[in-house]
Amino acid sequence: MATDDLTLVKRVRGGDQRAFKLLVERYQRKVYAVALGMLKDKEEAMDVSQEAFVKVYKYLDHFKGDSSFYTWLYRITVNICIDVMRRKGASGGETEEFDESVANDLSEARIGALGSRLGTNPQKSALRRELAEKIQEALAAVPEKHRAILLLREIEGMSYEDLSRTLDIPKGTVMSRLFHARAKVQKILSEYLELDEAKSGVGSE
Amino acid sequence: MAGNPACERFVPLLSPYIDGELSPADRVNVERHLGACRDCAGRAADLRAESALLRVGLEMAVDEVDFKDFTQRVMARVTPERPPLLERLRISLSEMFLYHRTAMVSSLATAAVLALVVIPLVMNQNDAPLGYGADRMRVRAVRASEGAKVAPVVLESDDGNTIIWVVDQDTAPAHDGSATEPKAGTPPDEHDELDGEPLKKGPAKPQPPKGGEL
Repeated sequence: MATDDLTLVKRVRGGDQRAFKLLVERYQRKVYAVALGMLKDKEEAMDVSQEAFVKVYKYLDHFKGDSSFYTWLYRITVNICIDVMRRKGASGGETEEFDESVANDLSEARIGALGSRLGTNPQKSALRRELAEKIQEALAAVPEKHRAILLLREIEGMSYEDLSRTLDIPKGTVMSRLFHARAKVQKILSEYLELDEAKSGVGSE
Repeated sequence: MAGNPACERFVPLLSPYIDGELSPADRVNVERHLGACRDCAGRAADLRAESALLRVGLEMAVDEVDFKDFTQRVMARVTPERPPLLERLRISLSEMFLYHRTAMVSSLATAAVLALVVIPLVMNQNDAPLGYGADRMRVRAVRASEGAKVAPVVLESDDGNTIIWVVDQDTAPAHDGSATEPKAGTPPDEHDELDGEPLKKGPAKPQPPKGGEL
């Protein structure tokens, strides 16, 4: 039975290095996935993931324990990613934020394009490397803060409550940012799939 | 927006709907609308597909990465200088009990069983005669005092006991200690000229072997 995060955190505070190793092993893949989704670059994502764990270790005494360990870990990860992007000067994607109020801008995406081609099980639909790259590209087109929410939701399956705590924003903002981020990604992926269908007929039913 | 004005109200709710984040009342309303509106049903399907696509796409990207050294590299950056040996032993012991309790318990049980078998065996060996009768002895040193006619032969048994033979060297020179290994109990037999009887026997003298010092 796996030891829960908070118990491990207590042990790390007591000087138990092995407990920290377990935490790293538990979250390394997901932290890396978030960093990769944010930064797109594999090496940068790897560096940021390691940096995030080092920072977590260093500031473990600042962790209050009133929220879960992973929300704190992801907050640190996302903040490092945003720092890296700002330092590079290119935030990737649009620099202006979407309007936080929910607007109905789904009209440009062809309705049903994704759903009809992929269903809800993309593994069955021969997901190709090319498509995985397209996903990265679509993510890069989403403003960084919206991207962070989308990634944390999809990778970690965070609840809106946890997202709100992790990113320190109201729940309503979580909802609207997710809506906009999804609309943007969906538009790019739908266009890609339609283009793909026109080219080779793959994915048509 | 396709025709239905109600869609304007429901489209923003589709994202929290697929995430299971709507209140029960909103959820019922959305489901009622989805039953009547093909466009919104399509939008909800799109959102689900996109969500799954993102997840699988990122998982695929992560699967390509080798995390073998990841933990080690992080640990190398957070580990302070090595604590003293005793502290390290203490920590690794306590960690063993913490994380491998079952393994530790079974190891200890095995060790206990082994001890129960081995210790009596070893004890029985100790029953073998000491000193003179021990099966392996070797000459540690042969040294004669200046002008003396006797030479002490110091033998050491397996258990560290020392036996000192004093042999008459009247007619034969003392043999080289390193070259000669008289069998236990029969050293004098090799030299007919010797008395055949040791002048002095000191079996099982508990002094450490010191190269024949007397």
